[in-house]
Amino acid sequence: MPQPPQSLPLRPRRGFVAQPVVLTGLAGGLALIALALASGAHLLLVLVLACALAAVTLVQARRARGEAGRLRAEVAQTHVEVADGALTLPYTSVLNALPDPVMVISAHEPDDLTGRRFVMVNRAGRRVLKIQREAGLLVTAIRDPDVLEVVDEALFGGLEGEAVYETGGVQERIFRAYARPLGASGDGARLALLVLHDETDIRRVERMRADFLANASHELRTPLASLSGFIETLRGHARGDEGARDRFLGIMHVQAERMSRLIDDLMSLSRIELNEHVRPLEDVDLVAALLDVVDALAPLARDKGVALEVETPPRGAVTITGDRDQVIQVAQNLVDNALKYSPAEGRIRILLQSDLSAEACVAPRMEPAARMSLLTPDHGPERFAALSVIDSGPGMDREHLPRLTERFYRVEGQKSGEKLGTGLGLAIVKHIVNRHRGGLAVESRPGHGAVFTAYFPLARTSAEVGGAPDEAPDDVIKLS
Amino acid sequence: MNEHIVKAYEDELNTLTAECARMGGLTEAAVADALEAVVRRDQQMADSVVARDERLDALQADIERKAIRMIALRQPLANDLRRTVAAMKIANNLERVGDLGKNIAKRTIVIIDSDPMVPLTRSIERMGRLVVTRLKEVLDAYTASDLERAMSVWSRDDEVDEHYNSLFRELLTYMMGDPRTITACAHLLFVAKNLERIGDHATNIAEIIHYEITGDEAIATARPKTDALQRP
Ligand SMILES: Nc1ncnc2c1ncn2[C@@H]1O[C@H](COP(=O)(O)OP(=O)(O)O)[C@@H](O)[C@H]1O
Ligand SMILES: [Mg+2]
Repeated sequence: MPQPPQSLPLRPRRGFVAQPVVLTGLAGGLALIALALASGAHLLLVLVLACALAAVTLVQARRARGEAGRLRAEVAQTHVEVADGALTLPYTSVLNALPDPVMVISAHEPDDLTGRRFVMVNRAGRRVLKIQREAGLLVTAIRDPDVLEVVDEALFGGLEGEAVYETGGVQERIFRAYARPLGASGDGARLALLVLHDETDIRRVERMRADFLANASHELRTPLASLSGFIETLRGHARGDEGARDRFLGIMHVQAERMSRLIDDLMSLSRIELNEHVRPLEDVDLVAALLDVVDALAPLARDKGVALEVETPPRGAVTITGDRDQVIQVAQNLVDNALKYSPAEGRIRILLQSDLSAEACVAPRMEPAARMSLLTPDHGPERFAALSVIDSGPGMDREHLPRLTERFYRVEGQKSGEKLGTGLGLAIVKHIVNRHRGGLAVESRPGHGAVFTAYFPLARTSAEVGGAPDEAPDDVIKLS
Repeated sequence: MNEHIVKAYEDELNTLTAECARMGGLTEAAVADALEAVVRRDQQMADSVVARDERLDALQADIERKAIRMIALRQPLANDLRRTVAAMKIANNLERVGDLGKNIAKRTIVIIDSDPMVPLTRSIERMGRLVVTRLKEVLDAYTASDLERAMSVWSRDDEVDEHYNSLFRELLTYMMGDPRTITACAHLLFVAKNLERIGDHATNIAEIIHYEITGDEAIATARPKTDALQRP
């Protein structure tokens, strides 16, 4: 057993034969940590660098001895030892615990595309980049040309670089990608480190603020102008006119309420959008949430003479992973619309089905009808609970369907809802459902009614969670 | 065959896949940037998209040359042959997508010249993002050899068409409402048309992946023509 010098904070354990190259690497890791502590630099990044360096060093050492088969185990047994030696941790668990994706990339020649491989990627990296393997062709993990360029500069130019990396898709996330050179290995391979830092929140706040201001100022201007108009009239020639004053105050009251509804909806939309990429965690009893909404809206339906029919499994039978208040908001907005656009004596069916595939969720519930998916979840092997609200109102022409979830979009000529709506209800529904990784579909037959179906992934049972591929324990790093 | 030759052969196949993936990344970026140029009225971005198109043409030619060489010299069989052919076909589709992206970027100059049409631009952006997402998903499916993912792109072929139809109506309304917008609207209409065709190429690529993985070409005729299905 080799004993590294006392001050080395990084040391390999168990049956490891010391080699100069190994010690250089380990010393490098030490030096980096020392440097970081001294300078107060970004400790996380430095820790990552140190770990990566240790891993790479091991790779080189083993490769030189042609024992690739045992590499995996050796790497897994490398430990990070902190300062006084009281605490040791397998470094792979350190990397895997990091919230930021981390990847080590190796390459040989600049013009050899298949030579660029990722030789290590931590758990966050596999999740964000949707890769199953821990080693493979670099372009199968990242295609973004800007990121590939900074990686190349780190590999072949020894330069540090940054690029913006956007994941795309319905749950778009924005990362800053940092590429750092790690030098060359014994067999001439060039090495680089890639760390992705999530900046989605910052970017979103920026965009939200701009959107909110633009929308709010645009939409509030009309009711505000009308309010000022009435005030002017009341101070001017309608001054002594009692009848006009009452009528005007009535209109002003309606406008003021509309403004406050607008502000509420806009605020609520902004809040939802802000953490749309953060999947909620609570268990929500979907049946109970739905029945609460139905109870709250029942008096309204009675006043209008609309019959509410509810078909659900018993309370407690359908559990989804969600945010209870937001799920309630979805049900409320959909039932609210159905009520608003239903004629008196209309009929609303509320249907909750559980354990469906994504395809079954968008299966027809009204026939014949035009139908369209307004939000499709990213592909994944999930089961869903689907909430359908089926009304017998005017429905809408097919051409309106793709635009329904747009902010402020209203179908013209539907007198019943015009004064009540803000045009934000379905936009809110869509963003909430997207946050829940669910989907939304609409069916409509003009003159006969509309169906809105929101579906949510079912909560996974604990047995399933343990077996899921991206949650599997993986302290062992595989190298190929 | 000795080990060396087998190794080199495997390498060549991998190179084709890798080059296709890289070309895919450049194409995705071109389309996303072209869309951004139109939406944010950014002429500089538009120029850069146009300038980068040559690179895509060169990559496509290169992949085609390598694939043909591979087929002629190595005479790959079954799986390997399909992988080679798929790479070549996908590169062709990507090259067309690049051209469509360039065409979108070129229209920026005219669109910037007119007054901003906010709701229309939003609709274009929404449709464009959908198309970009489809392209991304299908390329993800290609690099991961994930048949199911490819098929999920393929089966949602009609979403883009729906957006196009709706946008078409919106544009008509706009042009009729204010004849001064006709020129800009006509260009936006072509932008939408190009986006729709990019969506079709994504569907083509899904079909190629299906062929690459299963060896079955029949899917091309089985596409659900949803319009007939959906209209009451
Ligand atoms: N059940 C329905 N029947 C007919 N039209 C509907 C229905 N639900 C929504 N819509 C149409 O979609 C538009 C957008 O809905 P929403 O976002 O909830 O806004 P609003 O505040 O106007 O209800 C509505 O203005 C209406 O034209
Ligand atoms: Mg509403």
